[in-house]
Amino acid sequence: MLTRIAGGRILDPAQSRDEVGDLWLQGDRVIAAPDHGRADETFDAGGCVVMAGAIDIHSHIAGANVNTARLLLPQQHRAHASRPAATPLANAGWSTFETGRLYAQMGFTTVVEPAISPHHALHAHLELADTPVIDKAILAILGNDDFGLGLMRDGAGPDAIRDHVAWTLQSSKALGLKVINAGGVAAFKDNVRSFGFDDVVPRYGVSSRQIVKTLQRAVHDLGVPHPLHVHCNNLGLPGNFQTALDTIAAAEGLPLHLAHLQFYGYGAEGKLGFSSAAPKLAEAVNAAKSVTIDVGQAMFGQTVTISSDVLRQFSARAQARPSKYVIIDGDANGGGVMPYNYRDGSFANAVQFVVGLELFLLIDDPYRVYFTTDHPNGAPFTAYPDLFALLMSRDVRAQWLSRLPAEALAVTTLASLTREYSWGEIATMTRAAPARLLGLKDRGHLGPGARADVAIYRPGADLAQTFRAAVRVWKDGECVVRDGALTHYRFGRALRVSPQPDAAMTRRVAEYYDARYGLDAELLSVPEAALPREPFETVACPR
Amino acid sequence: MPVGSEASAWIAGAPAPFDAAVAEAARLLGLSAAPVFAHLGADVAGLREAVLLAEQVGGVLDHADSPGLLTNLDSVRESGAMLTTPLEAARADLVLLIGDGVFDAWPDLTPRLIDRLADGARVVWLTGSAGGRFESIAIGTGVARLAALGRLRAEAKLRPLASTPPALRSLAQSLRAAKFGVAVWSGADLEPLAVEAIHGLVRDLNETTRFSTLPLASPDACAAETVCGWMTGFPPRTGFARGRPEHDPWRYDSRRMIAAGEADCVVRVDAFASDAHIAIGLGEAPANVRFEVGRPGVDHDAIFYDARVGTFVARPAASPAGRSVAQTLAAIRARLGGPPC
Repeated sequence: MLTRIAGGRILDPAQSRDEVGDLWLQGDRVIAAPDHGRADETFDAGGCVVMAGAIDIHSHIAGANVNTARLLLPQQHRAHASRPAATPLANAGWSTFETGRLYAQMGFTTVVEPAISPHHALHAHLELADTPVIDKAILAILGNDDFGLGLMRDGAGPDAIRDHVAWTLQSSKALGLKVINAGGVAAFKDNVRSFGFDDVVPRYGVSSRQIVKTLQRAVHDLGVPHPLHVHCNNLGLPGNFQTALDTIAAAEGLPLHLAHLQFYGYGAEGKLGFSSAAPKLAEAVNAAKSVTIDVGQAMFGQTVTISSDVLRQFSARAQARPSKYVIIDGDANGGGVMPYNYRDGSFANAVQFVVGLELFLLIDDPYRVYFTTDHPNGAPFTAYPDLFALLMSRDVRAQWLSRLPAEALAVTTLASLTREYSWGEIATMTRAAPARLLGLKDRGHLGPGARADVAIYRPGADLAQTFRAAVRVWKDGECVVRDGALTHYRFGRALRVSPQPDAAMTRRVAEYYDARYGLDAELLSVPEAALPREPFETVACPR
Repeated sequence: MPVGSEASAWIAGAPAPFDAAVAEAARLLGLSAAPVFAHLGADVAGLREAVLLAEQVGGVLDHADSPGLLTNLDSVRESGAMLTTPLEAARADLVLLIGDGVFDAWPDLTPRLIDRLADGARVVWLTGSAGGRFESIAIGTGVARLAALGRLRAEAKLRPLASTPPALRSLAQSLRAAKFGVAVWSGADLEPLAVEAIHGLVRDLNETTRFSTLPLASPDACAAETVCGWMTGFPPRTGFARGRPEHDPWRYDSRRMIAAGEADCVVRVDAFASDAHIAIGLGEAPANVRFEVGRPGVDHDAIFYDARVGTFVARPAASPAGRSVAQTLAAIRARLGGPPC
């Protein structure tokens, strides 16, 4: 099957291509224009923008905590309008099937679920296998687990830590490693109620800083393309920008990714003791070239926060709206699920909204800032189209700002920022940059040999609507979206790295599981063959 | 069926070719105005096909153990909860067992939890009437149990009641003094208000110390809850009568629907029974069509919920044999014209 996408504006920052022209697909790949090719199918993309499929590096779409949220909040997905049932479970709100459909319709073809406790990796992969169209991946969580902290306490050395990280990535079939409030969740098990970057975990005698540095080094040494993905301490607290600054400084030239930086962009200025510190953070990020961040933009409306930062979720329990929460003391990180309503009339929520936008507009390099809403913590991923419109248009921003409390704007700088993201910068941030960050060589670009994941948008006056409903989406060369609607399911694959496990570490882990749990460690591993509908694709570790 | 028989499907009690039984099952489900999946004892793949088939025929998904499951879940979704896992619970320095049914709900409670506690950890059992194997306090059941749990919560919140028995007052002090306590009960055993009272008690205790809960339900009901959750957004007692999933614990109670004559076709999936099977027809024990199915993890590779870890585990089959629940239900759905999924 030879497909010609004719006469669109091909926007491919990874190949420095921005021109009106044709794009050719054959099978599941992009190919160079054939000399005498006759297309089996031609799509007239005149007036449209042609991009690679978008890649989301941080979106909580699957796993035990997400499912707990579904079950906790039946009212959140009741009363969805019925749609004609072209695809099974098309009417099931907040199902994995809906997740795949909504992402595809926006032109997304790869999504990373960033927070999976290794013991729940199989559950997460089962949900991802039921998420149609898109390719997916998980990040495995360490940094609050007894075995790993025990290694650090006992001075096991970098080789042992690296081997344990390799074992964990292999066992949970993950694309990378995440640390969430390093040590803070373990400390909460001992009833510690606040935990900073240089605080020490009871029983283990290691600080959060040591945990982050140790795991950062291990991920780097293994050659895992995606750097350690860090959820810092003190999320959401006034004055917490200092924690983020300290963590950025601790990167010390090695790659480090900071998740949802918006939630750390808070000063304690102003008469309410809450202000934007985004300019300080942006300055630090601009200077620290080895650091990447995603924003975790907050938007307004009802949502639910889902986090493995159990200490933070517990501490914020009074803010639950509606007033209920689930806190899970897990085998390692566990989770906290808490509904929350971001209101545009709220001073604090308005500051959060503005801090996110300031980070986007003040961080210079679109290869180092990512567009997340930390779905669903800042907003559902379906808010991305509105977010892109906010970044691309001062006028759209002005409209939104006019609804916000003046006191909130007074403790921020947003009104003075005139930058507008170009289409090229949006394409970089949503395609080229995440592919580079995750080490996905055949994604995020449209050069010959690229996977034929293609999204086509027709720019209109309403930019949000433009991004909400892609005109066409091809996944692996198969057209799955027409005029903003999914036509049928196909199922993607799960991306993972596959570092060689060390035999001695495998033995050591097995002994640990036997002694601590009386179980075979393999019981909690994800077997390659367990998920026939979700084949794994191995992403190379170059080292 | 006699041992050695070739048949794996029956229509009206007589051996039938698999395809004919599939056709008959599809015919019954296709004719039915209100098909009901009254029991969902299956591995993950089987549950997945049950959900898809239920959507295809506008049916209702329920599980025989839904009452206990929903007693636990209702309290969580009304007011939230502090929860822990079976592995983490073994870290407790105080385990509070509540209700006579805890050991029935988790037969391995002693080896998997009690025996794994650290030396010096305390186990207290709030029983109905009998003296328990452990340090136990008989608090009765029903209203008496609610009153006792209410007292315990008040005492633990340092709001003493004059009439509180000394044993409960002393227990309240122990709960406050615990470093990591875990309350364990079976949803099938307690009144919904009792579960709510325990969660309230545990929430209060966390103001000053760490305490959590391990609510027990049948493992395959937990599996059904989880798979239905990600596929439809809702736990069992979810119906597709109007095309979209709707969850209603009363309306979609399969026992009620069968007793009231609302269900005009019943599907029972029972892969964990010794005679693993799917039965389709009328009433509590449907018999119009029957399929013998493989046992998950024995006759075919399977993923199912493991009570020891509180999540899914994979188990490959030693010697694959027979059709799985998933294959059987998928064949019926295909016969009804369901799109591949």
